[in-house]
Amino acid sequence: MTDDHELHRLGLERADLDGHTIEELADYLDAGRSPADASIDGSAGCQLALDALERLHGLTGRLIAADAAAQGAVDESWVDRVLSGIALDARAGRRIPFASDPDEDLAITEGAVRGLIRGAENALPGVLVGRCRLDGDVTLPGEPIRIGLDASVPYGEPITRLAERLRAEVDDRLRTHTELNVVEIDIMVRDIRAPWSGGHTQGQEGAE
Amino acid sequence: MDRERSWSALDAADDGIIAGRAMDGDVAAFAVLVRRYTPLMRAYTQRMLNASAEVDDIVQESFVTAWQRLPELDDPAKVKSWLMRIVSNKAVDRLRALRPTADIDEFERPAPAHASPSRVVEARAEVEALGAALRELPDAQRECWVLREIGGYSYDEIAEELGIPVTTARGLLARARKYIIVRMEEWR
Repeated sequence: MTDDHELHRLGLERADLDGHTIEELADYLDAGRSPADASIDGSAGCQLALDALERLHGLTGRLIAADAAAQGAVDESWVDRVLSGIALDARAGRRIPFASDPDEDLAITEGAVRGLIRGAENALPGVLVGRCRLDGDVTLPGEPIRIGLDASVPYGEPITRLAERLRAEVDDRLRTHTELNVVEIDIMVRDIRAPWSGGHTQGQEGAE
Repeated sequence: MDRERSWSALDAADDGIIAGRAMDGDVAAFAVLVRRYTPLMRAYTQRMLNASAEVDDIVQESFVTAWQRLPELDDPAKVKSWLMRIVSNKAVDRLRALRPTADIDEFERPAPAHASPSRVVEARAEVEALGAALRELPDAQRECWVLREIGGYSYDEIAEELGIPVTTARGLLARARKYIIVRMEEWR
């Protein structure tokens, strides 16, 4: 290899590392230099190589961040291109029949119910509904159903009050538009958005 | 108006909320993930392939796969590393398609001629020197290095992804590290 001379000169070969190899040193770093190895810690050559490996590790994060930043803003035609390739009906979920329909050929999909639940956020400026689950056999009319949902709320408003209003709104929507026997609505607030994080404060005025 | 408000709010929400909605079939939330992670996924793919061609195809394919598999995601808050795994897989698939059999000679292929150190040191910061060193690495070394240092893969996972013995993966990585360190020293 033509590189051997250079590598030797810069001290990364076994002879420069007091019998250790760069591979061993990388493992030693990965293990957090533990358990301590006196023959590595006491070797000037190893210490130089360890410093170089550590610096390289730190640089890598900066490299990929710089690469990503250099990509520039994502334009909407790209988003459209990606979305055009996905199957939009992929999350229909279970079929939920309406018992009041005598022919029993009317039903709503679980996915549509989730959309209904998410829509509750429109009544509460700044609140976002995340994932929601319908626990219980929704395919059988009258079965007790528990709703579980994640929420993101804006910083500054009392969380208990927001959650109470969200719960009431979800309950109202489900009673109005479905025949689900909802016995419980669990809300888990997973995210509190700071006003300085941008975006969500725009256009909130006049929303209630 | 409502739509605008909801979009800007979604853009500010954290991954757990966004990915959770996307899992439930909310396309607007999925679009936020596309906007948020396309630059990083492009950057990763570019480093992996050492080229820009096909990067968009790979990233698009990755998002299509992500949409299909989202319901399998255990923790929506971890969607970022999950997406990076998908794009990494797709990039490796592409490498395999380009180079169907792992040729050991390929691993021994010397690096291409060096870029002029003075040019690099004049015009570029340390980060860019690392980028340049990475571009000079033989393919197999670079792939191992990207999987390990950027993708966070274990040695076993790298070996499995690339279809090579673990000892080979470790050897390639050691050489990649040496090469990069030496090149960066030269540019200091």
